[in-house]
Amino acid sequence: MTAFIKKECMELTRTGKLLILGIIFIFFGILNPAMAKLTPWLYEMLSDQFADQGLVIGEVTVTALTSWTQFFKNAPMVLIVTILLFSGLFTNEYQKGTLVQIVTKGLSRNKIFFSKLLTVYGAWTLLYLVYTGITLGYTVYFWGNDGVTNLAFGIFMYWLFGIFTMSTLVLFSALCDNSGQVLLGTGVIFFAFILLGYIPSIKNIIPSRLMDGLTLSTEGAVPSDFTEALLCTFILIAFCDIIGVLVFTRRKL
Amino acid sequence: MTQDNYILRIENLEKSFGDKKVLRGVNLNVPPKKVFGFVGKNGAGKTTTMKLVLGLMTANTGEIFVNGEKVTYGNTKTNRFIGYLPDVPEYYSFMTPKEYLSFCGEITKMDRKEIRTRSEELLKLVGLGEEKHRIKGFSRGMKQRLGIAQALLNRPKLLICDEPTSALDPLGRKEILDILVAAKEETTILFSTHILSDVEHICDEMALLNEGKIIMQGSIDEVKSKRRGNALEIQLERKEDSDSLYRFICEKTKAQKAGSAGKTERNGSNNIILKEASLLPYTLNFIADNNIPFIKIEKQESTLEDIFLEAIK
Repeated sequence: MTAFIKKECMELTRTGKLLILGIIFIFFGILNPAMAKLTPWLYEMLSDQFADQGLVIGEVTVTALTSWTQFFKNAPMVLIVTILLFSGLFTNEYQKGTLVQIVTKGLSRNKIFFSKLLTVYGAWTLLYLVYTGITLGYTVYFWGNDGVTNLAFGIFMYWLFGIFTMSTLVLFSALCDNSGQVLLGTGVIFFAFILLGYIPSIKNIIPSRLMDGLTLSTEGAVPSDFTEALLCTFILIAFCDIIGVLVFTRRKL
Repeated sequence: MTQDNYILRIENLEKSFGDKKVLRGVNLNVPPKKVFGFVGKNGAGKTTTMKLVLGLMTANTGEIFVNGEKVTYGNTKTNRFIGYLPDVPEYYSFMTPKEYLSFCGEITKMDRKEIRTRSEELLKLVGLGEEKHRIKGFSRGMKQRLGIAQALLNRPKLLICDEPTSALDPLGRKEILDILVAAKEETTILFSTHILSDVEHICDEMALLNEGKIIMQGSIDEVKSKRRGNALEIQLERKEDSDSLYRFICEKTKAQKAGSAGKTERNGSNNIILKEASLLPYTLNFIADNNIPFIKIEKQESTLEDIFLEAIK
């Protein structure tokens, strides 16, 4: 299994995927505090225009929270980019037939499945850490970290939501034959949960609730408010992984 | 030979795709340390049979045993005995041949030292020893050769090659055949093809698959002898001698019995083919009496091609 994970990592670096993802995550990591830093200046630029329309803008105060608001706003972007770049994780191999030779060498399909799953979990974790680290560094440097509560928990929840999304990606990779279908399936699930989040009766128990980490600081939410959503997400992750491995061991390569 | 001595045993294998029956009860026994030719025209079911042996497909009925162990679909344990070379092998193009072999070695749990020595030995065997580039730019022949190296890496008991020479130029074909002959020392080779001269060159035994059934199986000599013809070819030096001999034989056969036309035919201007050996004494007498200079008189061997064409009629 380590050999296969090693191969996956080699593929990520040599095909340039990790580089592309790294650049994008670093870019957005910098963008969050930069946007916060630039907000007063932007308002000032536009204030004359607003004044013509009769709008008066008071003084804008930027805090660490502004930066973290950007962080949670841009997090779906980096998640979508990750999904896009990993959509061919299995399907490229089905199409080229490279897995046939690996399976006929006696490597069990379970090991292949979990190696790929761990690789994509690992990549998301690493890149998300970079994204968080950069935002955190700049934010603390400019504004300190006052006024932000349970930040680590909020960040953790978004990470877990990412892990859940990666699990659906891998499940669809086991089910589908090409990356278009994988993207469609993963996308449908992703947006379905976001839409379901508008239904008050279930919004607090589905995985998309984990994207609301900011409410811990802004709306006085407490970690225990998320218990049901966390539980539901863990169950869904396990469900995706188990169904995924069962499908993968039976599918035609 | 008892049943367990066969490295590969296929019993009554049936497989259909939808309502199309591809295999209709295939029975096949492959003895160890042989090059076994698996012959059939395109679409006869060769690749399907091989994929079933590798557990890449499920059979409708029938059983397959590799080295005495039963093959199951999906995660089959029997693949540890097998090296497989697909018809169009594909690799991780971002690796070099050496890296690919070392990756293959690691997944088959070979130890590090063994991987190193064995990869060097095999890459040398297939002529890729000095190749430092990534697989990305490899030609088909190079990929085919690397395919043999990866298939032989963990010293499999059975090497399955699916039409390894079909898409190659004559030189590439010869290289692959030479490598396979060299590999015969250490493993059994099951080799599917529709190129009969390849079978004649390197195989010890063969089976002919047609319309989902094995219609002929045995050593190359056995298969050939089943249809050893009686025909004789006589080649003379001069055309006029050949004309007179032909007339003589035609008269002779007419005299023997009516309606025996077709027992003799001309093949080129100086060649005569006697389809019945009983005509030989008269012919030899005629040649001796008339002092006719001749180049050769030989018995015609039927080629695998004739057998193949006749068998699949």
